[in-house]
Amino acid sequence: MPDQPGIDAYAAYLPAYALDDTRLDPTAPARAGGRARSVAGYDEDAVTMAVEALRHVAADTPAGRHLLLATTSAPYETKTSAGVVHEALGLDPGVTALDLRGHRAGASALDLVLRGVATAALADVRTTRPGAPDELAQGDAAAAFVGGGQAAVLLARAGHTTELLDRWRLPGERHDRVWDERFTAEILVAAGLDTARRALAQASLDTVDQVVVSSSNPRAAAALRKALGGTGQDATVERATGFTGVAHPGLLLADALDEAEPGQTILLLSATEGADAFVLRVGDGVRAARGGPTVRAQLAARQRLGYGRYLRWRGLLDVQGPARPAAPAPAAPPMHRRAGWKYRLEGSRCDACGRVTTPPGRVCASCGTAGSGTAPVSLRDRTARVVSVTRDHLTTMPEPEVAIVVADVDGGGRLSAYATDVAPGDVAVGMAMDPTFRRLWTTDSIHNYFWKLRPAPADAAPGKDTADGQ
Amino acid sequence: MASRRTTHDVAIVAMGCTPFRDHWNSSADDLLVDAVQECVGSLPDVTLGDVDAFWVGTQGSGLSGQTLARPLRLTGKPVTRVENYCATGSEALRNAAFAVASGAYDMVMATGVEKLKDSSYSGLSAVFPPADGTDVDWTAPAGFSLLAPAYQAAYGIDERQMRAAMTRVAVKNHANGARNDRAQFRRAVTAETVERSPRIAGQLGVMDCSGVSDGAAAAILVRAEDAHRYTDKPVYLRGMSFVAGSGAGLAADGYDFTTFPEVVTAAREAYEQAGVTDPATQISLAEVHDCFTPTEVVLMEDLGFSARGKAWRDILDGRYDADGALPVNTDGGLKSFGHPIGATGLRMMFECFTQLRGEAGPRQVPDARLAVAQNLGGQPGSCVAFVAVLGNER
Repeated sequence: MPDQPGIDAYAAYLPAYALDDTRLDPTAPARAGGRARSVAGYDEDAVTMAVEALRHVAADTPAGRHLLLATTSAPYETKTSAGVVHEALGLDPGVTALDLRGHRAGASALDLVLRGVATAALADVRTTRPGAPDELAQGDAAAAFVGGGQAAVLLARAGHTTELLDRWRLPGERHDRVWDERFTAEILVAAGLDTARRALAQASLDTVDQVVVSSSNPRAAAALRKALGGTGQDATVERATGFTGVAHPGLLLADALDEAEPGQTILLLSATEGADAFVLRVGDGVRAARGGPTVRAQLAARQRLGYGRYLRWRGLLDVQGPARPAAPAPAAPPMHRRAGWKYRLEGSRCDACGRVTTPPGRVCASCGTAGSGTAPVSLRDRTARVVSVTRDHLTTMPEPEVAIVVADVDGGGRLSAYATDVAPGDVAVGMAMDPTFRRLWTTDSIHNYFWKLRPAPADAAPGKDTADGQ
Repeated sequence: MASRRTTHDVAIVAMGCTPFRDHWNSSADDLLVDAVQECVGSLPDVTLGDVDAFWVGTQGSGLSGQTLARPLRLTGKPVTRVENYCATGSEALRNAAFAVASGAYDMVMATGVEKLKDSSYSGLSAVFPPADGTDVDWTAPAGFSLLAPAYQAAYGIDERQMRAAMTRVAVKNHANGARNDRAQFRRAVTAETVERSPRIAGQLGVMDCSGVSDGAAAAILVRAEDAHRYTDKPVYLRGMSFVAGSGAGLAADGYDFTTFPEVVTAAREAYEQAGVTDPATQISLAEVHDCFTPTEVVLMEDLGFSARGKAWRDILDGRYDADGALPVNTDGGLKSFGHPIGATGLRMMFECFTQLRGEAGPRQVPDARLAVAQNLGGQPGSCVAFVAVLGNER
């Protein structure tokens, strides 16, 4: 348990794509605005983004804490999605995996992290009906937080529960319905201001160095930012990502922590189905507390996505695929038996020759020695180099083609894997790639999660781990 | 020694092979009956009842020996169904050969069949056991297309040169198939047709891929000393080897996708049994597994026909053309025949058998004495490989 309530480590995850043009008719005049939304790849969901956010910060979560996955887009209705995240992170079985639902779940998960009882991922994939006025104002992201005091300590918190018909969706429906936002803005602004003032009073502060406001209602967000004297840094990120649902307070807080100096104070206000306010003092260890790249760096690295591809990825445009059977659904017992391989990319290292066999097996693929003591070795945080590559033009994925590579892992091991977040034609022999957790396909209502490879950051030198993995 | 020639030599005395087609009006049963009847019918003094034991190879068109026993209404006979990926047809012949060589039977039959066109899909689709979902959902062309970029990188061959060699393989094999009534595709194609075909995987277009067809084939095998009791022109099995790869090429680093190590091993053993010391000059013709054009490029090196890194050049120089120094896939290959999996290995044998007996008509290779049949399955890095050397002298 942390000595002081606060945040020990944090990470944000933004998918690789940005959508900024939703014209169905490309000859029509462009919409003004410069607004963009963050778009998860067709192979991403709340679970995969949670793994990507948590994988660099949460491995040491102690037994007794809860692993929370807060989302409004859980890939399963009744099965606990956080269980998949737990398995992929290789957490102690004594850590309880738990899903939190509803739009306020992000702020609530953060609250539980700050109280020292949980490690949390806030992850959401948000889709409006094509042409909806807020189509570019919703986005996809994840953020992860681990309790402790390195990044920031909690000075005060306050909460306010309001029953409000704001955004809602029935089971089986794809898009949120939204009540007139003029009405909900008034309620949320009142709740937000009251909650923020109570938290500041409790912290004995009149002002803070940084105000961060997240709200499901953009009018409320704008009004609260103005009233509380924010710099607009939060609004700038939001204009590039859209409101990222449950992840949004986490994403904006991560950005504030990226930019903040030790000793500064931050007010985080989330005004969604009521309000939650947190007053934080930035810790001396804030720079070291970040896992993965900054929010700004991730924004800068994104690729533009065309509207047609976006619609196809989201299942909003039914495109004729190849005459090919669906990829097979995985079966429960083999998934369970090989969880180390499937969820953590663990091969086996031979006791006799030291080489790595993938998938792991009882007998070494290199020297043929049968070793009962063959040690698992995780390849997920290592860079792999492409040995050969092909482009599958008959893919069942929602793309005209996907690249498939065979790649050798630095330090030993070979992977046959789908390439992702890269144009298939840009993948070449010798390219450095890093494992990323994705959903390969969904068949017979079973999501098939496994690791793909994406281009490594340009500076990845041979033998260098690209992350602080175990 | 990894494998040796059988104690008793084995000869093929009769063969049958259906045309490979879209056989909309024939079932796997019908195709087997056609192939077996042609095979038995070619020996005037032999009836099906004289055959002591049977093997039937099929990947997915039937289970158990009843795949053959039922359509032929065989009574009281042992029939074994075998499966070994795309080398299934060869596997039927290999096991049948061992059975006569052992002395357990005097006359045996190897058959193979595949009925692919009852599916609405154009490619091969196998049913695999339940799994953990971590395997790439490879198409066959995607798996084999990995050869091309790796081969180019290893030997410094540019895209244009590789494309030209692959195109030449397709053009050559279709030209051969145009002279073969049993082929599925009996029309020559131009380089332009090959190169402008729709992309399937990597550098491969549709015309770099073998077709999909239905077919069956059959062979009667006896011990060599008995062969002349049935025919004046037996074809002798001079050497034969089969390797099931460990899959290490996909499971560990090291393998570079420029060769099929399983084929290299199988070829070495088969050549040794056959007394072949220089395949490039001693072999009269070869039937090889041209499932995709780069496969044939690499196989020319694995079989010892071309030096490493030189096959693409030899192919472009016409060395493997019908009138070249070492004609390859004189019947048209998988490119012209399609690939009914259980039948393909025996179809290759059928062409070797026909050529070595001097019965190949317009396709006849002059003075054909030794032929290679090479059949493989799986994908580069993880495959099964069969190589046989056949001769018209014992």
